[in-house]
Amino acid sequence: MNMQTTSRLTAAETALVEAFAAQIGEFPGDGAVIGTRDRLLDDLKKAGLPTRRIESWHYTDLKSLLRQVPDAAPVAAVDPVAALVDGSKIFSILQGFADPKASADGVEVTVFKNKLTDGSAAAELTAFGNDDAIGRINGSFVRDGFAISVPANTELEQALELQALHAGGQIHTRFPVSFGAASKATIIERHIAVTDGTALVSSISDIRLDDGAEVTWIIVQQQGAADTHLGQIRVKLGTQAKLRLFVVNAGGKLVRQELRIEVEGQGAELTLRGVNLLGGESHTDVTLMLGHNVPHTNSTEIIRNVVFDRANGVFQGMIRVAPDAQKTDAKMACNTLLLSDDGGFSVKPELEIFADDVICGHGATVADIDSNHLFYLMARGVPENKARAMLVNAFVAEIVEELEDEKLVEALEGIISSWLERHA
Amino acid sequence: MPAVQETIDQVRGIDIDQYKYGFETIIEVDKAPKGLSEEIIRFISAKKQEPDWMLEWRLDAYRRWLTMEEPTWARVDYPKIDFNDYYYYAAPKNVTGPASLEDVDPELLKVYEKLGIPLREQEILAGVTTPRVAVDAVFDSVSVVTTFKKELQKAGVIFMSISEAVREHPDLIKKYLGSVVPTSDNFYATLNAAVFTDGSFVFVPKGVRCPMELSTYFRINEKNTGQFERTLIIAEEGAYVSYLEGCTAPQRDENQLHAAVVELVALDDAEIKYSTVQNWYPGDAQGKGGIYNFVTKRGDCRGHRSKISWTQVETGSAITWKYPSCILRGDDSRGEFYSIAVSNGHQQIDSGTKMIHLGKNTSSRIISKGISAGQSNNTYRGQVSVHRKADNARNFTNCDSLLIGDKCGAHTVPYIDVKNPAAKIEHEATTSKISDDQKFYVMQRGIPEEEAVALIVNGFVKDVIQQLPMEFAVEAQKLISISLEGSVG
Repeated sequence: MNMQTTSRLTAAETALVEAFAAQIGEFPGDGAVIGTRDRLLDDLKKAGLPTRRIESWHYTDLKSLLRQVPDAAPVAAVDPVAALVDGSKIFSILQGFADPKASADGVEVTVFKNKLTDGSAAAELTAFGNDDAIGRINGSFVRDGFAISVPANTELEQALELQALHAGGQIHTRFPVSFGAASKATIIERHIAVTDGTALVSSISDIRLDDGAEVTWIIVQQQGAADTHLGQIRVKLGTQAKLRLFVVNAGGKLVRQELRIEVEGQGAELTLRGVNLLGGESHTDVTLMLGHNVPHTNSTEIIRNVVFDRANGVFQGMIRVAPDAQKTDAKMACNTLLLSDDGGFSVKPELEIFADDVICGHGATVADIDSNHLFYLMARGVPENKARAMLVNAFVAEIVEELEDEKLVEALEGIISSWLERHA
Repeated sequence: MPAVQETIDQVRGIDIDQYKYGFETIIEVDKAPKGLSEEIIRFISAKKQEPDWMLEWRLDAYRRWLTMEEPTWARVDYPKIDFNDYYYYAAPKNVTGPASLEDVDPELLKVYEKLGIPLREQEILAGVTTPRVAVDAVFDSVSVVTTFKKELQKAGVIFMSISEAVREHPDLIKKYLGSVVPTSDNFYATLNAAVFTDGSFVFVPKGVRCPMELSTYFRINEKNTGQFERTLIIAEEGAYVSYLEGCTAPQRDENQLHAAVVELVALDDAEIKYSTVQNWYPGDAQGKGGIYNFVTKRGDCRGHRSKISWTQVETGSAITWKYPSCILRGDDSRGEFYSIAVSNGHQQIDSGTKMIHLGKNTSSRIISKGISAGQSNNTYRGQVSVHRKADNARNFTNCDSLLIGDKCGAHTVPYIDVKNPAAKIEHEATTSKISDDQKFYVMQRGIPEEEAVALIVNGFVKDVIQQLPMEFAVEAQKLISISLEGSVG
């Protein structure tokens, strides 16, 4: 009896397997890519979607949460939207297909489809192991995206905006982006729903920073209220590389953002900031797996969450310090404002430390708005609802302001305050 | 200063290989054949002259256990245990219920003397009038001596071995046994329910403040006997009891299995304080031998305004798997967990707590101090969960880890689940080594390195030591210093 239950596929799993079979002739890729796709799907079929028994999915039982999977993306006429920050160079991906004409000065760009077709992407289509359902799904289904390379010693004046627009259906994209030594760049990765059509999006960004590169990477997820977003950010940091990674989640019904970051060069620095705005019936999971693998590296992570309605949020942050990674300095904080009786938030900050000369710490708080703060404002004549809104806004704005770039701060604050106005 | 000097002397004298309590007492032992089966369970039950319902309870647990799988989620690594290669029952032969310490087998008394149990310590400590510690000593699974029984009786406190309680107070046992840790709770708790051989039973009736600290010394003595204690403590409305548990075990080569279950029940306004000093054989410098310690400890704050407090000092065992927890069911109830876990050599510790907030205005506090040295791994794993209806729940968690040496690991895995917006949850954790500045500061005042480290470590764990009853605190400080010996330099 046990055998049967484990091998039986859920509706969503069946839909994925069937979708794969239906598109088998259409997927771009040479022999090696097709072979990899088959293998990844086979692994997915055998293991099924992850359940809470798999530790890294403890709070997000994908098997039971992912009820249905929409059909492959329909062709829809979708027009690019305005850039988040004026003057950014837009690389648009409409319904999962990259604009082949997209280009920017000083940057090498290839649409990912070409890399699949000629087989040069085969080696990248990997999954990290049994808990990497996103790697498996994306590797099996990926159709397009952008492969971007910023040459060494190049400083990009304008931000590059990877603008992924969805109008329902299944969308699987990939963005391998490498930054040459001592290059500087700002990348904005946006996932936006432009219609009410239900979408399943899987997207992997494969980010490599060579020695001394300095990059700001911003992810803004604004998918629809019925959408599933499975995002994965894979990062490798070289010597003296500096990455500022900002993640804003302001949409989606079932969201999993995996940040798998390996710090591999001495003197490298990671700054991670996250703002998760949760409302409706959504379930949003941000999972960080950060490895400090060499001596003398730093990281700070601050995640701020606001929970309304019947939303559930998860933050898992695991910091692993390898045996030789002496002088690691890693600090992580996760603060949550739980504003609803029906909402919930789960935190699992994890430290796994094998070196002794390190300074590592994490802090986590979950609470409602401090009544003293509220009183302070109300005593000055601010009505309660306004006072609450001010405090919530301040709670997340604090994080965004760290970006320093005025235009960027303004744009993100705009997204945050309009979201809050709709939900508060 | 004298206290520090004493610790230093202790440290100097003892090496990790020279486990202080690694002697073996030769007493005739009555034991069941190796292995685990329904027959063995019937044998244990018959030996204990248990009623039928108890046997059924055990068999039910055993059948359930057969269908369960050993948990693998903890960060501990050990060769597969062959559960049929253990003795599940061993009792010292001459147990004809001595009424006082004077009547006890002198061999046993010598053991206590070598252990330096609090009873003796307290007599030695100046200024104390009559020692007020009752000891229910568990010597290889059977309670051999119960002192102060009469005085306790006068107060209405029942303090006896659980086997006696099964016979004498079946109503209480039926009502409370397994009500906090159900027989199906987890692999080791279920195994314990099937084969538990002894342990303590404490019942403090309504409104009674237990007149003395209750104390049990567990001691694993016979080779390859699994120890399966079952402790049940009930504090009725408004009652208070403080219970001390301390453990040492002789040196051995084979790994020994220990899977105890402790259940605490606190009714309205009751308070239970449970303190443990665990100092079982940790294995030798090569990681050979040592005790496997898989313990389920849980307290149920069943009544309003009740309070349960766990304090533990874990320095022994090759493997520790232990999560003393509190279920905060009653409104305004409070749970506390204070822990020092010291690992050295090849020890592996995966320990922490669970605070389950169910009632309104419940509060909990977790202070955990982990110290890893040698090639050991020390994990804090804890859960704080606030349920939908637990308005105004409050938790503060602080877990600090200290690393001594570059071959050990310190890990922190907290799980925080909040479903009520009126809750206030704070968690903080840090990991660091003793900084050179701190060491320099102490050493430049003429204190050698090893003593400097001992001093700083003592400061690091002070918050928890303060929670221990005085006589335990003295012992705990010594134990920590002994455990860390050889880890510096």
